[in-house]
Amino acid sequence: MKQEALLYFTDTWLTLLGLVLFFSFFIIMLIRVYSLKKEYFEMMSKLPFKELEDER
Amino acid sequence: MNQNYEYFSYDDDIVKKFLLATMIWAGAAFLFGLLAALQLAYWPLNLNSEYLTFGRLRPLHTNAAIFAFAGNAIFAGIYYSTQRLLKARLFSDLLGRIHFWGWQLIIVAAAITLPLGYSQSKEYAELEWPIDIAITLVWVVFAINFFGTIKKRREKHMYVAIWFYIATIITVAVLHIVNSIELPVTFLKSYPVYAGIQDALVQWWYGHNAVAFFLTTPFLGLMYYFMPKIADRPVYSYRLSIIHFWSLVFIYIWAGPHHLLYTALPDWAQTLGMIFSLMLWAPSWGGMINGLLTLRGAWHLLRTDPLVKFMVAAITFYGMATFEGPLLSIKSVSAVGHYTDWIIGHVHSGALGWNGFLSFAMIYYLVPKLWSTKLYSLKLATTHFWLGLVGILLYYISMVSAGITQGLMWHAVNENGKLVYPDFVETVTRIVPLYWVRALGGVLYLAGFILMAYNIWKTLKTAPKDQKEPTYAALKPNFESSSGETTHKKLEGMGLVFSVLSFIAIAVGSIVEIIPTLSLHKYVEPARVTDPYSALELAGRDIYIREGCYTCHSQMIRKLSAEVLRYGPASTIEESMWDRPFQWGSKRTGPDLARSGGKYPNLWHYRHMMDPRSTTPGSIMPNYPWLYTKKTDYLVLRKKLSVMQSLGVPYTDEQLAQADLDAQKQAMSIVEDLKQNGVEDPKLEEKEIVALIAYLQAMGKKERAE
Ligand code: HEC
Repeated sequence: MKQEALLYFTDTWLTLLGLVLFFSFFIIMLIRVYSLKKEYFEMMSKLPFKELEDER
Repeated sequence: MNQNYEYFSYDDDIVKKFLLATMIWAGAAFLFGLLAALQLAYWPLNLNSEYLTFGRLRPLHTNAAIFAFAGNAIFAGIYYSTQRLLKARLFSDLLGRIHFWGWQLIIVAAAITLPLGYSQSKEYAELEWPIDIAITLVWVVFAINFFGTIKKRREKHMYVAIWFYIATIITVAVLHIVNSIELPVTFLKSYPVYAGIQDALVQWWYGHNAVAFFLTTPFLGLMYYFMPKIADRPVYSYRLSIIHFWSLVFIYIWAGPHHLLYTALPDWAQTLGMIFSLMLWAPSWGGMINGLLTLRGAWHLLRTDPLVKFMVAAITFYGMATFEGPLLSIKSVSAVGHYTDWIIGHVHSGALGWNGFLSFAMIYYLVPKLWSTKLYSLKLATTHFWLGLVGILLYYISMVSAGITQGLMWHAVNENGKLVYPDFVETVTRIVPLYWVRALGGVLYLAGFILMAYNIWKTLKTAPKDQKEPTYAALKPNFESSSGETTHKKLEGMGLVFSVLSFIAIAVGSIVEIIPTLSLHKYVEPARVTDPYSALELAGRDIYIREGCYTCHSQMIRKLSAEVLRYGPASTIEESMWDRPFQWGSKRTGPDLARSGGKYPNLWHYRHMMDPRSTTPGSIMPNYPWLYTKKTDYLVLRKKLSVMQSLGVPYTDEQLAQADLDAQKQAMSIVEDLKQNGVEDPKLEEKEIVALIAYLQAMGKKERAE
């Protein structure tokens, strides 16, 4: 069964490379996000409310 | 005047234009949908008309809903929120106008060509090549206008909504271009460069990600802007929104193959699609929770404010649909659910609930603001909400019940190993009552929308006559980065770098999935190679495509025992290796046709296509009387074969030169057979029905004679 499933699995290296890229990017993203300060997030989340004078 | 200030205004006129277009096309999309729903409940509503028959109406409905209604809503919301988030007027007023009128022109072209039968038959990519080119051009105009605005922005930081818009613009461009590579045959007919399994994979990579990047990411951007604005408090967790964003753009692109489980697609690609679909659960629910909890401390608004009602329901439907999607990607669930109306229920909880309700909330929010007035009636809006909600629930519940009924009946096998319901039509008549319930759901949803149209119209009438764009003052931009900033902050300040990163995110999954399948030769077994269609069969196939038979019939027998019992051996890669476009289909309102060749005599098809009830009482398939009067275009066949040959189909030069003669000869032999069985119809060999019969009789019969 397993053999059969992998029978047509031709470009293994490509899939592997994809997965490695995928997971490393992901981990880096998580580390980055969690190393950022709370004030930064607060400032960003208020952007939609930063109104200009006369803004409707 | 203060030297450090700049004075500017927003281009709100373009937002207004897109909003009104959204309203108009929404009405059209809902009406087409309702008619199509009624046609399945009551077949005479196909009206024996070639222009309104279900197979042509359904693509019109889906295109109107996705590109006309949702498309215009996205553009309105993006143009409004981007200007405000970036504190800048749109890059170019002119590009905005070209974008608007170009897009409406494309919609009109679709509304004309689809009923006329000009279709590539690839779901949500039906439009023919000249329109494909127009879409590309207009999208580029949109991109220039958007990125130009980013470039001239006065706010250094880019709010997360902008990220979602960037990912949308880049990915939709990639999807559309890759899936639309085709060779023209005539002005409104083309063949895709991909064939069979390649075409299937590219199409569902496209189809799935059209849902992801046309109906999800832009709407999430809108959610992250409008939900806080409507609730008047910042998003629950900005940190979560960043994780939401990156996880979605990364994972979504891999999930396409879940549309092809148990098909001839190699198992590894199916498994990959399934795993990544399951992974989507996490970010989708993170996003939903983030949206809903934005209301923290203000839940009372849910009782009093119809806009909040719409928003909260929309986000809840987003959560439901993104829960159900991965569920349906689990192979054992897909075995029962795929090809059934469950999928139709699933997409409508997304389209009507998530996209529809979010757009409605946005329109109710924006119209009074943009036209400097107040909404005419909050009460009407509340009634709209309840009508819409009950409509969606009726729709969803009836279709999921219908789907599970179909799935169970198709797979029911008794103790002798025989099908319990061998007559397919039994499984059709059983669910017709549910089609009526679904149509009722549609009526309610449409009724709610009509209330909205009235409400908006009344609101516009109270608007002051002279509408001025107010001028704003903002500090001159100064982006010199101060030394203390982390790289991330610099990064999200840089539009270009950010766009490149998003592109890489979607490119990785795309390349990994598509490249191996493009090397088709690796999968084809020489012993099982099939012959290409004869010229007449190809003519018949193009009629099949024109009539949208794929909207009700699949041509892909899955590797499931009940399916093999019903239809014959599972379909192979080789059987569709010359199919441009592939016709595997996605829904079985009628039975699979992959092995219908030789199942019935020519006479049966002749009578069935004229009136399906004459051979199969209780059938809901439309009549096709026009196929008995329209003439087959024999002359174009040489051109068609030659385009196919240049795409690698092994037609000989002799076959090209004689295409029309060969076809006429084959037509004569079918006509002889029909005549012997009592059909009297002068000049029958010229008629399209004969070509179609030739194709139906060739299905599953093209294995190469040794
Ligand atoms: C609205 C959905 C619908 C559309 C569109 C549709 N069909 Fe059908 N078709 C059915 C249903 C339901 C059945 C089963 C009952 C019957 O035999 O009529 C069926 C049965 C068939 C059968 C008999 C299959 C068998 O094995 O018994 C053939 C052949 C067929 N359709 C061909 C076509 C062709 C060709 C077109 C396009 C020109 C088409 N259908 C369009 C719904 C549809």
